[in-house]
Formats: sequence, structure tokens, C-alpha cells
Amino acid sequence: MNEHEHRSGIDRRTFLARAAGATVAVVGATAVGWRLGHPHRPPPFDTRIFGPPGEATVAVLKASSYEGALEDVVLEGLRQIGADVHGARVLLKPNMVEFDPGSAINTDPRLVAATVAAMRRLGAASVTVGEGPGHRRDTGYVVTASGLAAHLRDAGASFVDLNTAAASPLRTNSSYTGLGELWLPQAIAEADVVVSMPKMKTHHWVGVTLSLKNLFGTLPGRVYGWPKNALHWASIEGSILDIAGVVRPRYAIVDAIVGMEGNGPIDGTSKPVGLLVFGDDPVATDVTSATIMGMDPGRIAYLQEAGRFLGQADPSRIRQAGEDPAAVITPFAPAPGFANLVAS
Amino acid sequence: MPPTLEDRLRSARNADGGFGPVAGVPSEPDATALAAIALDDGDARAWLAANQRADGGFGPVVGAVVRDDTAVAAMALPDGDARERALDRIVATAGANGPGGEGDPLGWPWSDGTHGWVEPTAWAILALRAHRPDASDRLDDGLALLRDRESVGGGWNFGDRTMLGVDLHPYVQTTGIALFAVHGLDPGLMARGLDTLRRRWASEASGLLSLALAAAAFRRYGDPAATETARRLRGAEPVEPDTVALAWATIALGSGLHVLEVP
Repeated sequence: MNEHEHRSGIDRRTFLARAAGATVAVVGATAVGWRLGHPHRPPPFDTRIFGPPGEATVAVLKASSYEGALEDVVLEGLRQIGADVHGARVLLKPNMVEFDPGSAINTDPRLVAATVAAMRRLGAASVTVGEGPGHRRDTGYVVTASGLAAHLRDAGASFVDLNTAAASPLRTNSSYTGLGELWLPQAIAEADVVVSMPKMKTHHWVGVTLSLKNLFGTLPGRVYGWPKNALHWASIEGSILDIAGVVRPRYAIVDAIVGMEGNGPIDGTSKPVGLLVFGDDPVATDVTSATIMGMDPGRIAYLQEAGRFLGQADPSRIRQAGEDPAAVITPFAPAPGFANLVAS
Repeated sequence: MPPTLEDRLRSARNADGGFGPVAGVPSEPDATALAAIALDDGDARAWLAANQRADGGFGPVVGAVVRDDTAVAAMALPDGDARERALDRIVATAGANGPGGEGDPLGWPWSDGTHGWVEPTAWAILALRAHRPDASDRLDDGLALLRDRESVGGGWNFGDRTMLGVDLHPYVQTTGIALFAVHGLDPGLMARGLDTLRRRWASEASGLLSLALAAAAFRRYGDPAATETARRLRGAEPVEPDTVALAWATIALGSGLHVLEVP
């Protein structure tokens, strides 16, 4: 459970069930109204559900390659953020939007497999990997060609295609898009713990794609399309916020062993970083990751807005374990049009 | 003897006569329509007719998102009022272009009020060619979108030729469905698409849906690669295939292909 759930005393599945059945009186707002510079407007999220974000913990660990004792590194990272998955049904959500041989588009399958093993060592009752690729309707191809299927088979872990899995509508807990409801796979709704596992990448529409943007892949293409263009039209940044407000990932693990810079998230250049970033708060994890990328998280609008209700965006309230982010900054070439994000 | 892909498709049917996106999931229009085509299945068609929206369309409505699976449903429906209302809806539906896209082809979107993309446009072209050929303006627009979105060198991906100056490579699955739509319309598109499919199908054959679309398209075009792709398809043993992939495999290997052979 994260801090908000501790405070309300309900677990994640109960929260989602209540959210589905309740008529949540979300204060109306437009995609324009939430922009930075309007901090005093009524919050476009349900303040009965989202309290002020508390302290967060992020751990940055060195990991030079996808070979070797990666499972031990993941286990150490999870321990440093105090991850508690004992007895929990865990769903890992990697980023597998597309497959292109030799590229750094996807969360590396070896990291996913290592995380499956680490979660089991921490006592998880079950570990499932789920993704709904955003560009490819043929999920079987993406999962097989990328090597994920083989790694999961070796690990004895199951995969669920979130593009085709059973799903049901859930009312959003915020109103950054006006979508009103999201079609959320049961595999997400019924998991006790969702772990967002993005690739550290630049993104040509929103600057960076990390643990929050990765959640686009939780929504099924059979409703939102390939690509999930309905979310783009509704506002990409707004969709990031509305989706995260429903999915509510408990932990994040950012694959920064090799990231992607420049024209990400598909056509960028591989960027060796040699790090894994773990967090008990997706916003804090993304703030730290953006810092490592040489970006100023204070200039990433959706991240700052997320800091109002989804997690901690204030670096002074993020407890940093492992490596000091300032000491491991590895400047990424920004996506076209996002040079303004580069920290000065 | 392991069950064939067609057997597996039949076994995925729900008690209500429809098909979900995977076995055990409630019936939905897209999967049901494709299964109806693949199996020439009256129960699936009955489910479709009973689940047509008041606006003539098919597809889930989730909050503000109105998914449009109308064209594939129109291809599955028999003659009659339901299909005519679906065709009316297809003619009246178009993709939306944002600022700077004025004058570009509109095609058909995955959901109302969004951009046109290759797969829904291909289905709409098929439905109109088959059952409303006098909708020439919309057919011309749809073909224009497929020309506009063709990948450099031929074939199609989901529907972006380039992205910020980078050429995006084609996919087997979307090239396959687009080839059905342009058959007999544009020799250049056909030739380049087929050549792309010949070059790429084997590299994407680990995906059942991609392999099935390649086999179906090769068969539609009488291409020699139809034999090898069909052989590979018959030997495929996917672990948890989705209904759409199973239906395309059944179409590629069975009699349902004739439904997609539009004049």
C-alpha cells in the first residue's frame, strides 16, 4: 500500500472497486486549466481520494549490464525502498510499445525476468507480466520477437495481453481529459501491487516517458486503437494523469541500464546509463529519473501536476538511497522541441 | 491430434453466440464479426445484429470514447436493415485532422473524433466496395489515405509514414489488411505492398496474427508465398491466441476469404 492507502485504510483492490461503483464528484477542469501557473484553481482530482503527497523513497543502483547478478541488484533496490509484496499478487508492467531489433525501445526482458525472481524472493504470492503494446496489434509478435516470452517461460511466469484481456469501465478519479471512464483490464484492477517498469527515454510529445507515461500500455487497444489515439486527442499529458489516478502503481523500476535519447520513444538513440531507479512513488521516481537524464523536472508540466496528487514531486521530500542522483547525471539529448527541459 | 486453429476458434464461442477478444471474455463486436466471417456463423451474426448501437455503429462506448468497429461488422452482416444502417454510419464517419492537416485525407478512425489510421480505413474501404460502391467520394478518400500513409518502399505500419523526419518501417499485419483493401485499385500500391510482405513476413511469423494476415493476403493475390505461409500457419501452436488472430488464421486457411474478395 502507498501512503494514501495506508491513510484511508483500504487496499488497492478495494479502492478500485469503490471507485468503480461510486459516483465520484470530480471537480470539472479542462486540459488548459491545470497548466502550471494556475495552482489556485480548484483541483481537477477527487480530494477525498487523493491526499497531499507525503515523503517518498527512491533508490538509484548501478547496474552495468543486463547479464550477471541482475536479480540481486533488483532485490537490493526493492529492499532499499522498503518494498512489501509479501503475499501479494504482483503485476509487472514493462514498456513494450513496439519491437525493432537492435533498438532500445523496450524495457529489457532480462530485467523483467530478474524482477519476477526478485518479487518471488520477497514473498509475492504471484507475479504476472502485463502489457498492451501501443503500436502493434500483434502482441504475440512483440513478446516473442523481443525475447520476453522466452524469458518468462524460463522463469515460469505468465504474461497477460492487456489489449485483449478481460476489462471493465472505471470512472476516473480526476478530470484532466474529460474521458470520464477508462476501460481497465481486470489484471490491473485485481492486482494487489502494480509495478510500472518503463525504459528511461525521451519522448517527442511530452519530453520524457517514465513510470507514469508507461501506464498508457495498461489500456486496451481494442477500445483506444493502435496507436491509442483517443488518448492523444483527449490530451496526452491529461491522459497520463487520469490513467495514473486509476491504475495507481505502487512501485516503479526504471530500466536505465540502457535508455533512449533524442527522438524517443521509438526512433531515438541508445543511451548507456548503467543504472536502475527504484521508487515507492511513481512521481518521485520520475522526478529522480528526469534529473539523472539531465532534465529539470520542474519544467515537465505533467510531472509537476502529478505532484499535486499522485506522488511526491518535491526533491526535498524524496529520500534518496543508493547513488546520489546528482553524481550520476548522464545528460540525454532532448527530444525534438524539448530543449527547454534541459537543466541549466 | 491437436486441435486446429479453427477448432480453437470455435471453442472460444460464448454461450450468447458471440466471441470475446480471448476465450472466456464477454462477447465484443470486433472479435465476433471476424469470427462470423471466418466460420460463416449465423449465431455470431445474430449476436452482432442484437448488439448494434442506435447510431448504426458497432463497438464499445467507454466514457467519451466511441470505438468504431462498424466496418468489420458490416462485412459480417447479411443483407438487411442492420447492414444498411452500419453502412450509413461508415459513410458518415471520418477521421479528424488537427491543425496543419487541413485538406489531407481523412480515412476512418479507431474511435470517433480521432485521426484516421490504416486498419480501420482498410476495413471501411472493404465494406464500401462490397456493399456501398456508389460512395465514391469516401472510397477515394480512403484510398488517398492509404497512399499517403504508405511506408517508404511500400507496405504499411499502423499509419505513420514518417515521424519527425524518420521513415517508419512497415508491419506485416497492417500491410496484409491494407492489401485486401487496395486489391485491384492501385497497381503500384499492390506491387510494393506485396513485395514488402514477401520480404518481411518470415521475420514477423512468430506472431500468429502477422502470419495469418500474410497467409491470407498472399492467398488473395495468388502469390506463391501462400503455400509456405499456409504450411507454417497449419503448424502453429500458439499458447494463448486471441480471437482475432484465430479468426484471421481460419480465414487464411478456409472458405471465409471469399467474403473479403470484394469486386
